[in-house]
Amino acid sequence: MDIDVKNLHPLEVRLLRHVALGEDITVERIMAELGYILGQCNQAFSWLHAKGYLSEKSRQTRTLFELTELGREQQQNGSPAHRIFSLLKAEGPKSLPALSDALALERSEIGSAFGQLSKAGAVRMNSDNNAEAIADALGGEFALVKTLLDRGVGGALLESSLSDGEKAAMAKISKKRGTANSPFKTIEREDVIWALTEAGGRAKEALLAANIRGDEVGQLTVEMMKDGSWRDATFRPYGLGAPTARIIPGRRNPYANYLAWVKDKLTALGFEEFDGPLVESEFWNGDALFMPQFHSARDIHDVYYVKEPRHRASIEEPWLSQVAQTHEDGWKTGSRGWRYTFDHEFTLRQVLRSQGTVLSAKQLTNAKIPGKYFGVVRCFRYDQVDATHGADFYQTEGIVLGEDVNLKTLLGLLKMFAEEIAGAEDVKYVPGYFPFTEPSIEVHIKHPILGWMELGGSGIFRPEVTKALGVDVPVLAWGLGIDRMALMHLGLSDLRDLFSANIEAVRTRREN
Amino acid sequence: MPKIDTTDTLFFGLLGRTMTDDELEQILPVAKAELDGHEDGILKIELNDTNRPDLWSSAGVVRQLKSYWGLEAPLYDFFSTREEEFESGGRTLHVEQSAKDVRPYSVGFATRGHKVSEDELEALIQSQEKLCHNFGRKRRTIAIGLYRSDLITYPVHYRGVDPDKTSFVPLGLDREISLREILTEHPKGREYGHIVADSPLFPFLCDDKGGVLSFPPVINSDRIGAVEVGDENLFLEFSGMDLKDLLLAAAIMACDMADMGWEILPVKVIFDEETEFGREITVPYYFQEPISAPLDQVHKTLGEALDGESVVAALRRMGIYAICDDDTIWATVPEWRNDFLHAVDLIEDVMIGHGLGNFEPEMPRDFTVGRLSKAEEFARKIKDLMVGLGFQEMMYNYLGSRREYIDNMRYPEQKCIIISNPMSENYEVVRPSIIPSLLESEMMSAHSPYPHKIFEVGKIAYRDDRDLSGTVTRNALGFLASDRLMGFNDVTSIIATLSYFLNIEYSLAALEGDLRFIEGRCARIMVGEREVGVFGEIHPQVLENWGSVMPTIACEIDLDLLRE
Repeated sequence: MDIDVKNLHPLEVRLLRHVALGEDITVERIMAELGYILGQCNQAFSWLHAKGYLSEKSRQTRTLFELTELGREQQQNGSPAHRIFSLLKAEGPKSLPALSDALALERSEIGSAFGQLSKAGAVRMNSDNNAEAIADALGGEFALVKTLLDRGVGGALLESSLSDGEKAAMAKISKKRGTANSPFKTIEREDVIWALTEAGGRAKEALLAANIRGDEVGQLTVEMMKDGSWRDATFRPYGLGAPTARIIPGRRNPYANYLAWVKDKLTALGFEEFDGPLVESEFWNGDALFMPQFHSARDIHDVYYVKEPRHRASIEEPWLSQVAQTHEDGWKTGSRGWRYTFDHEFTLRQVLRSQGTVLSAKQLTNAKIPGKYFGVVRCFRYDQVDATHGADFYQTEGIVLGEDVNLKTLLGLLKMFAEEIAGAEDVKYVPGYFPFTEPSIEVHIKHPILGWMELGGSGIFRPEVTKALGVDVPVLAWGLGIDRMALMHLGLSDLRDLFSANIEAVRTRREN
Repeated sequence: MPKIDTTDTLFFGLLGRTMTDDELEQILPVAKAELDGHEDGILKIELNDTNRPDLWSSAGVVRQLKSYWGLEAPLYDFFSTREEEFESGGRTLHVEQSAKDVRPYSVGFATRGHKVSEDELEALIQSQEKLCHNFGRKRRTIAIGLYRSDLITYPVHYRGVDPDKTSFVPLGLDREISLREILTEHPKGREYGHIVADSPLFPFLCDDKGGVLSFPPVINSDRIGAVEVGDENLFLEFSGMDLKDLLLAAAIMACDMADMGWEILPVKVIFDEETEFGREITVPYYFQEPISAPLDQVHKTLGEALDGESVVAALRRMGIYAICDDDTIWATVPEWRNDFLHAVDLIEDVMIGHGLGNFEPEMPRDFTVGRLSKAEEFARKIKDLMVGLGFQEMMYNYLGSRREYIDNMRYPEQKCIIISNPMSENYEVVRPSIIPSLLESEMMSAHSPYPHKIFEVGKIAYRDDRDLSGTVTRNALGFLASDRLMGFNDVTSIIATLSYFLNIEYSLAALEGDLRFIEGRCARIMVGEREVGVFGEIHPQVLENWGSVMPTIACEIDLDLLRE
């Protein structure tokens, strides 16, 4: 067996080098011979025992009595009983409160000491209700206590060194725990005699052979640099298998990192970011997207309505008039419109934004041509919250405006997204349906890990959307479903975990 | 999105061949459809185009697939037009003025010559349901009834009647009750009665001898309205609010039934008042206008210079007859469709008919500058500083409960945006602050080693009368730290550090009356005269509300104000 002596602690090294096979190894010996303190001894024994280098030869339990702070004080000044007796002898009878004041002792201490003295027949309460001494001197147990206190000054007293009388007296004045009111503390000590094992012997040989002495330096210090003592020092090598301490770092949220990465990708592809408020009007949330006001997706069961204020004060012109007219008869968009009477109150009704396309439409009123825009925006849907539906979630949406954009450039754009954002191996397009685009295309991709999946929806905005919002060039509109890829990236399977409030879960989450 | 179930027998019978699931998955996109499942002889198909009610039936999907394959479609030669009417053979539906205010229109047609099978009856009922539910807005604008024509004495009368004085035996009951009673006593009455409940007169359909057909849009009678497997001669009636929608629904059902083998018999509908198609309309009736698209618009939209002939051929595959004349495509809208609002709708059909796979992707050529929003750039700067200060970034939902955002925080409700139709009380309020989100983390993370140092840069929204919407959405930084010893001075150091590196001068002002914090151990952060944030030691009552025992500090800063 190859012994890795480099991993031994200096306390182990020095001990191993000091002892020999067949010798008794005890705490007292190591403390005396190597100058270890008790704690260091115990550590070294315990480590070496665990490694199999030391074995237990014998174990004995001893009881010792050690003076406490109170005991030292009583040894110097006398116990309360002694002090009461001496004072009464010297100054004659006194009331208990007077004793308490004169000796600066608590009443309870006076009471209890007087009780002991009285029981032993050394004092009594006279007819004036004052305490008076009646014995000539204190003997018996009181004398034993004094002897014990005096002997205790010289060090802990072994139980075996006490007479039976002393043992009985000691039992009254020592405690194992809660020793603040007790002159002696009872200590039970196990004396173990250790011996070097065969393996320990080999480890010792290895240490000698490697010339490891145990006085190697564990830490370079400023002082060593200043006084130059590092020149004579050798440095203790570290073991490489030791466990490491946990650090809790400040850290970005992995999902936020993923979204930031998507944003960076899109800006790299020439898109400019947009954003907007969480509360929208029906006008922007649906009307401007040419969804008829009676459209099934605008039902109370699909959109969250704001309780107060129920309505927006007004909608910006000329957008309101143009959109309203487009719904009714197509306005100048070339459409026949939806042929119904546009509800000018409903259009003001406030909702929580239900789709990112709302912001794409809004951007049209303020867009450059050519222009490319995107947003990663929070949306709200009236859905039962479960592993695949959140109360609110991010949608990634955008538009491309240009004289020459068309179906083929839309397909090209989708292909670019598929490759750049999803790392897709293969792309498939199928006709789709969205109320605000025509034609509409869904893009399916073969993701390297997730397999075939729908990446997103897209299309060319209907002229009823663009013209009513003042744009005369074609506009490609697209939305990407990135949540499944985000989950995979984070090693998750439940959408709710993306917004986990659990600190430990977020602290320990890794990105794949 | 509508979903239909159909038996293999019916679907493949109409198709004239069987197909594997793979083959179906390949071809269904031409009908914007997906195979949603196929087991025990039942095909489940999802239809994505909510504007194509003609596709919400087996017959409709099959019609689209067959024309795509170039198979000749049956001739639907039973449509009358403004110019040419078919003889209705005495079958008349009289729409009286009395129903005008509650549900003005009703149209119908009849069939014969085919015994309805179980599959077909289910399919007809499904079509009826899909049309009424999705296209007819849950029967509000379209309701369809199927009746046993043999029991009817024409003319049929559609009129408004007194709901308390009119009664009949509805399907599913064995006694006669009034229309008013149906609203409360019949399940369909409870479901659909609200559509007419407020009207003094209710719609009512009966034959010339007083035989009751139905109480549209609620429930059929149990005799004439109880169609069964094996019935051959049927009468279909469509009532609603918009004549074109009703004529389209009738056209779709007529074409579907013709595909299944019925002979379609016209019914003359006579209105008391003038309609957009005259006072007499023979149904099925072709009302659609032709649609056109300039060839160069086709080219511009599709990015492909298809010649007129290719465009016409592509449309033919979609079941649309078109010609190209004078560089314009002129198309006749099929009887079963009315979704051509704009030339672009026709162009999409050209795209599908030509085959999406035949268009080569091209990269957009315009040069544009990519750019993050100013708010995002600033947010990233803030996040870097917070991470450097040892904080973990969190992300939270923006919806929560009253308990979380208002009660636990001792925060005024009138500042909060509340949802009027919440699905659950857990998601009823838009968060007015990030601090409750951070405290939610405290509530559920007592076992995560302290100190906790967390933050989020995200949106908050609250009421503000100065905006036209009465609300504002702001980008905000919220951070929280908790440990056995954590207090005011820990926050001030962080704020001082942020302000130093953001190069923003700030001062602190007293914050009073904010019950989220311990009085006197909180402050407002001022930049110039403007408050940009607040911070402080979270009040022990608030901590207790969240079930936390750890001293906690929190801060929230309006990043939009800070950035200005």
